[in-house]
Amino acid sequence: MRNFFEKLRFYIPHLLILLVIANDSLLINTWIAPGPIINLKYILLFYFCFYQPDRISVISLFFLGLVFDSLQCTPFGMTSLCFIVVSKLIYFLKKRRTRANFQNEFISFGIVLVTIQILASIIFYYFSKSSLEYSLIIVNTILTLALYPLLRYILQFFCRYQI
Amino acid sequence: MNATKLAKSSAVGTAVLERTFRQKILTPALIGICFLLLILENISSRPIKFFKSLINDVITYSAFIINLPINFTTGTTKSFLETLNFNIHQENKILKDQINKLISEKNELLFFKNENDNLKKTLGIRNQGEYAALLVKVIKEDTSEFGKSFSISKGSSENIDIGQPVVRNNVYLGRIAEVNLLSSKVMIVTDAGSRIPIIIPSKGVNAILKGNGYSSAELLFLPPSTSLDNNDQIYTSGTDGIIKEGLYVGKVIVKEDKNKKKNYSIDLGYKEHQLNYVSVLKLKR
Repeated sequence: MRNFFEKLRFYIPHLLILLVIANDSLLINTWIAPGPIINLKYILLFYFCFYQPDRISVISLFFLGLVFDSLQCTPFGMTSLCFIVVSKLIYFLKKRRTRANFQNEFISFGIVLVTIQILASIIFYYFSKSSLEYSLIIVNTILTLALYPLLRYILQFFCRYQI
Repeated sequence: MNATKLAKSSAVGTAVLERTFRQKILTPALIGICFLLLILENISSRPIKFFKSLINDVITYSAFIINLPINFTTGTTKSFLETLNFNIHQENKILKDQINKLISEKNELLFFKNENDNLKKTLGIRNQGEYAALLVKVIKEDTSEFGKSFSISKGSSENIDIGQPVVRNNVYLGRIAEVNLLSSKVMIVTDAGSRIPIIIPSKGVNAILKGNGYSSAELLFLPPSTSLDNNDQIYTSGTDGIIKEGLYVGKVIVKEDKNKKKNYSIDLGYKEHQLNYVSVLKLKR
């Protein structure tokens, strides 16, 4: 039984990201805001890849991305590719920035978020038949960036006592 | 003993091997698979489509099961709050009055419908094809910066096809964007990629309704001299030959700025995130 709970504890980041992916529209995007203006999944992904990189493997990121693509009607493989690039980019940025403080972390998150939104937009533009609303992506990026400190604080609080 | 066997003999060696495998083989392989999937997306081959539909169905229904406890909790809270409504008798009286009013309006409407059909017959105007409604359950709503959609519980097994309109109480909600075996995806009218031909009968104006990606839509290609009023009703015009004509979409809300210039916004005829059952309109053949 203890072994089971330890395993469950290990997979909490996966479960959390999966729940956010499956319920993205139920969370902030519908109850608080009028539309898709916050990207919770990227915040969670960045946080766990930054602080606990050994807990989320590339394979799980690939499958989580596929789940998201299937649910959101986006081209298959788009989000998986974005997730894998995110994890590699975070690894690279973390290696480069030796001083660990909030400022550096926030800049890293900004770089990751902008890169990922540009990559996702390019893939969506070339591989999807739907049209893109660029203003929506810009608003989404800015508000996700603005919300990061708050969510980071909440996640750190839970990580200290729960995860 | 070769290098691999030597590395496997110690714990540190195994870890190094694992990391090398992950960095040099696994990550590039997965990136390659992602690109392959993206390329396959645009190839319309039957086995690929079938396989994709299967994956989509499994994921959609799994997400529905994952969401069950959350939906149950939300539903229970809502019904509990409804039971605490102390004005229930007065509300009942108001609703009864509204029902009576609606019945009389319906009878009047039937009279006009018959009159309209007779006039059409006299003038020799043929009706557009007749539609059959298929009632389906909304499994899940999805919102992201790339699209707004919801999944429904019927797919190609029920002859659902891409482009078919989805309505609720004759109010237009969106159109089928993707069909799987046992489920389908509906692109909501507020999706940034949604464009529907509409008509404003009170002004005799045709236009295109475009979703803004949030929870509303905007009018495109309105004639420059058009001046709309508050509460002007918007209906589908059916000029594309796919969406049935005469489906209610919403009403116009007019706001004037400082220079007395009119800005139009649309109050859609349905409320998002409160959809349980909807109907897919299929053309009768």
